[in-house]
Amino acid sequence: MELLKEIAEKVEAGRQNEVKALVESGIERGIAVSDILNGGLVAGMNSIGIKFRENEVFVPEVLVAARAMKAGLEIIKPILLREKVRSKGTIVMGTVLGDLHDIGKNIVCYMLQGAGYDVVDIGIDAPGEKFVQAAKESGAQIIGLSSLLTTTMVYMKDVVDALRASGLGDRVKVMVGGAPVTQSFADEIGAHGYASDAASAVDVVKRLLA
Amino acid sequence: MMRNMREWVDEILSSRVRRAFPLMVFSGAELTHTTIDDMLRDARTQAACLAALAARYPSAALITAMDLSVEAEAFGSEVRRMPNEAPTITGSLVRDADGADTLQVPSVGAGRSGIYLEAAALTASAVIDRPVFGCHIGPFSLASRLCGMTEALMNVHAEPETLHVVIRKATGFLVEYARAFRDSGVNGIVIAEPAAGLIAPAHCDEFSSGYIRAIVDAVQDDHFMVVLHNCAASGRHVGSMASTGAMGLHFSNAADMAEVLAVVPAGMLAFGNIDPAGVLKNGTEEGVHRTTTELLMKTALYPNFVLSSGCDIPPGTPPDNIDALFRALDEYNAETFRARNLESIP
Repeated sequence: MELLKEIAEKVEAGRQNEVKALVESGIERGIAVSDILNGGLVAGMNSIGIKFRENEVFVPEVLVAARAMKAGLEIIKPILLREKVRSKGTIVMGTVLGDLHDIGKNIVCYMLQGAGYDVVDIGIDAPGEKFVQAAKESGAQIIGLSSLLTTTMVYMKDVVDALRASGLGDRVKVMVGGAPVTQSFADEIGAHGYASDAASAVDVVKRLLA
Repeated sequence: MMRNMREWVDEILSSRVRRAFPLMVFSGAELTHTTIDDMLRDARTQAACLAALAARYPSAALITAMDLSVEAEAFGSEVRRMPNEAPTITGSLVRDADGADTLQVPSVGAGRSGIYLEAAALTASAVIDRPVFGCHIGPFSLASRLCGMTEALMNVHAEPETLHVVIRKATGFLVEYARAFRDSGVNGIVIAEPAAGLIAPAHCDEFSSGYIRAIVDAVQDDHFMVVLHNCAASGRHVGSMASTGAMGLHFSNAADMAEVLAVVPAGMLAFGNIDPAGVLKNGTEEGVHRTTTELLMKTALYPNFVLSSGCDIPPGTPPDNIDALFRALDEYNAETFRARNLESIP
């Protein structure tokens, strides 16, 4: 459908005002909000995500595309709730205790929202209990942990342990990422998934929820 | 000690052996049984750490602390201190165009910048067997800390003029800070510009390299060398980095060193890029040795390559792992020298 394609293109181009206008137009024309979400907003972010992974675009382009996507999402969110359109899943995201660097975490949040997931962003410097509490309250299926420092990545294990101690360990999976983090570190601490970059985080989430 | 840095570069280019210049500062705190927080807050402590590193490791050069919070703190940003990590900037000073317009440029010496200059001067006097480099942040990365990283990156598209106002002010401070490093007696500076690797090469030209050029033009000469470090740079950023005119470019493990060296101008040194966290800190001695050897072999055809870590080596990196890097280098040099000698036998 032409309108949905146009929404996707405007999301990719980061044109938030045009995205809002097109989304409103789509609603007026009776297009299903799930189609606007998946065929327009998510499609646009998916396209920018592929280009980001291929190094055709960089972080600023992803950020403005995400801003445009969120602008459209805000318009359809009340309708999605009313119509009980379910998201693909919920992920709690944050940087671990002691770590204040959030750009990587922010990009992952945008990419996940762009892919149709609900994200509960608990921010920076979060202790294990905060992740667990957020997972309990939101019913999240995944906790995503970010760390930029070798001295803070060690706290990822604390989150894994806190999750197990809370009894949620069977229901909630842990994904980790950040510059010093590796697959072998993820395996060592008992994480379920490791994302080497923001673009692959979406793939890891898809795999964990399959 | 003053030295001719163009001659130092020429020596490396014409040398039959490879040199290593890891970005290694925090390990000095461990050698001297001090904390990183102490090292970053006291010039004499920092100088003692650097002297210990010089005594312990045969690096081709030395660098003062790579602490990317110093300059933003001088502007007035709040920092969170940690005992065994460099401080981190919290919050943002500039929230909009008005904030950019009213942002005051500090004097050199504000905050802890004076401590770093004093540490540089002390080290330059004490360590005379190799070049000593100071270190400061790049203008785009500084602006990102003043505005908030996400906001600065968004403003590349959303409010470029506001971003330019902040970068211009950042550059104004950094030119004076670089001059002060030169006056301290060090032989050069490493400009750390990690945020510029997150933006497209064309934006790197616009928001970073043009401003770094101003710093290079202000301070670089035969006796003072600028090395530009960009953590996130790939081969695509090399052209922009080289346009700054810096005598050396330094790359992290995010870059493919062979791909980078194919495009770095032949007379410009290219440093890199053993993974400091994954290999040097969290790897084994054998892994460090293997990775170093592989990198040396991969870059064998490029006389302008200098072995280094991809970024500053993190606290807690086992000394044996750093030794393994130098051991691999020595073995490579011995083998290469032996092979070249055999080739010359009629």
